[in-house]
Amino acid sequence: MEEKVIAIAGNPNTGKTTTFNALTGTRQQVGNWPGVTVEKKEGYYIYKGVKFKVVDLPGTYTLTGESEDQKIAIDFLTQNQVDVLLLMADALNLERSMYFLILLSELNKNIIVDLNMVDLAEKEGIDYDVKHLEKLLKVKFVKTIGNKNIGFEDLKEAIYRKCKEPVSSECFISNYGDEIESAISEIINYLKNLNLPYPERFVALKVLEKDEYFVNLIINSVNYERINNLISRLEKFFNKPIERVLIEKRYGIIHGVVQEALIEKKKELKLEITEKLDRILTNNFLGPLTFLFIMFLTFTFVFGIGKPATKFLEVVFEKFGGIAANFPFPFWINSLIKDGIVSGVGSVVLFLPNIFLFFFFFSVLEDTGYMSRAAIVADRLMHKIGLHGKSAIPLILGFGCNVPAIMGTRILENKRDKILTSLSIPFMSCSARLPVYLLFTGIFFQENQGLIIFSLYLFGIIAGILSIKFFGSTFFKKESSPLIIELPPFRFPYWQGVLVESWTKTKYFLKKAGTIIFLGALILWFLSYFPDPTKYGAQSNFIGRLGSIISPLFKFSGFGFWQASVALIFGIYAKELVVGTFGILFGVGNLMESLKIYFTTASAYSFMIMSLLYMPCLATFLVLKKEIGMKWAIVSLFWSLFIGWLFSILFYQILNF
Amino acid sequence: MKKLSEVEEGKYKIVDITKPGKLRKLCNIGVLVGDTIEVIKSCPGPIIIKKGNITVGIGHGMAMDIIVEKVK
Ligand SMILES: Nc1nc2c(ncn2[C@@H]2O[C@H](COP(=O)(O)OP(=O)(O)O)[C@@H](O)[C@H]2O)c(=O)[nH]1
Ligand SMILES: [Mg+2]
Repeated sequence: MEEKVIAIAGNPNTGKTTTFNALTGTRQQVGNWPGVTVEKKEGYYIYKGVKFKVVDLPGTYTLTGESEDQKIAIDFLTQNQVDVLLLMADALNLERSMYFLILLSELNKNIIVDLNMVDLAEKEGIDYDVKHLEKLLKVKFVKTIGNKNIGFEDLKEAIYRKCKEPVSSECFISNYGDEIESAISEIINYLKNLNLPYPERFVALKVLEKDEYFVNLIINSVNYERINNLISRLEKFFNKPIERVLIEKRYGIIHGVVQEALIEKKKELKLEITEKLDRILTNNFLGPLTFLFIMFLTFTFVFGIGKPATKFLEVVFEKFGGIAANFPFPFWINSLIKDGIVSGVGSVVLFLPNIFLFFFFFSVLEDTGYMSRAAIVADRLMHKIGLHGKSAIPLILGFGCNVPAIMGTRILENKRDKILTSLSIPFMSCSARLPVYLLFTGIFFQENQGLIIFSLYLFGIIAGILSIKFFGSTFFKKESSPLIIELPPFRFPYWQGVLVESWTKTKYFLKKAGTIIFLGALILWFLSYFPDPTKYGAQSNFIGRLGSIISPLFKFSGFGFWQASVALIFGIYAKELVVGTFGILFGVGNLMESLKIYFTTASAYSFMIMSLLYMPCLATFLVLKKEIGMKWAIVSLFWSLFIGWLFSILFYQILNF
Repeated sequence: MKKLSEVEEGKYKIVDITKPGKLRKLCNIGVLVGDTIEVIKSCPGPIIIKKGNITVGIGHGMAMDIIVEKVK
């Protein structure tokens, strides 16, 4: 079948994802752009016998090589087959969208403008004469209402037709006036023999704008000096920085066009609600209060609703494990299924309801527009530790499960912020660590169980802050990027979109984590089963020997016996397994008695500290690797091992003093 | 003329943005030098400004480089 590629570009919150979903339905997948960690979404649909592959580009306001996700957009648009570039335009902010159109038009693509949010614009008393816009800007416009599924047949037809047309050089190319145009031609001349993989005029403009990335591309060219002189000459002429001249010229042109096509109607409703809500939600006193309240609600719901589902899955796996133990297979196969696969993979699948719910709430908070307000509220606090407000969101999610939390760092545009936040997320005490605390405090700290558990959560936060401070001051010279964040108007969540979004992400998690966890489960099972299958998980088997090798390390932490080490090893899988392992090793029946023999109050506390800090679980590690790269994932691993080890010794020694 | 980080809530006109990088960031979002804006939330903490349908939150560090003038 013939295949055409459509790329969707546009400002954030213009309805790109909604349109992407409307076009592709559930035939989509999330992945990563090669070499980088920005999310990539791809899907397809079939129209009139042609297969259209749709790619959702990261939302941006401009095209600069200086930011990772925008660089991706530029590279994708210039170096891949893109038959139609679909620009999502927000009818409420048409000028800004058309500003972006001017930038995109320099890339020589077939462009269609999807004028979205026309329902909201109408309520504001704004309508546009699309025919007129088409005439002035020489591009095709289609009106849609993304969340009501209106206009997509027209859109599909327009895309279908556009694909048949050759790329029109007719498409609106801006004219910046004689001085600048002649400068552009001059720069194009200088670039002639550099063979850059971008359109010449586009590069010339970027160089003129002093875009760091593009300037670096030509910095070694013999003509670099000349270009610089040219720029200073222009700046003297305009008496302004040249980038400002360019921006103002573009907005000047666009302002005229938009005003000309504007049809004003009677206003139905003003967006004043948003302003009122903003005054409350970002108020210095009420803001933090509502923030805490919403977080509290989120957690209650995620665990409240998630718990029965998790319990149900637990029962299913238990039943299945029980059945598997009696399969008419050789003993080792049964053991592999029951002890290896079911308890290994099962322990991860148990998280699924929670993970789905987390993605769900994350999407809702984002869709309504609250997320960016939360960033504003958290900014002051986060500033003190060297990050800015947006980082608070993934950190909080970490208390539920580190995995979606680390995925959530995608909202941070700056690499430094993303890495620092990801490095401290594993210290946020996720729900999987709670069973460990419950078991040990239940035995050793019956009087003030709550207080002790609270102290562990607090200590996790302290460890996280320490990590940010440490890595922030040693590895990253640069400051956190200045906070500038658009606050989209408040909206009711678009449930269909939210569901598709959270399901796609959950599916992705399940697939990736599932395969690797499966492998890990096999390895751990193998170590426990051999060489003597009758003593599954005993000291004489590989796992016990491994535990015995490691255990001396924890002599000064107070738990230098091999069972504790094995429990910690199993905990790498998923932290719940720390408890499960003790269960297997000591027998569930006399677990309490045995633990009382092996542990003291001091070593119990230091063991809990260790369980809290010692390393990200397998799934977290994999996500870390995916999001911030292998190097940093390994740094995180050793850093947390070190921190955990150090503090478990420290606490044990102090408590024993 | 005052820095955006120092003003109270109310209507202002942007007179200048002193750092080119920051100028570009704000302009790209659609807020230009010469525009009239409304400050919805002032310091301490980030400042929130509004221009037409565009609402933007701006960190303190950034607001110090934006020069504004009161509009009656
Ligand atoms: N009223 C209205 N809301 C829309 C329309 N299209 C999208 N939305 C909503 O706008 C919000 C942002 O959409 P989204 O697709 O996530 O934007 P993106 O950031 O460009 O991917 C979501 O809450 C959508 O439900 C539309 O035409 N009208
Ligand atoms: Mg989106």
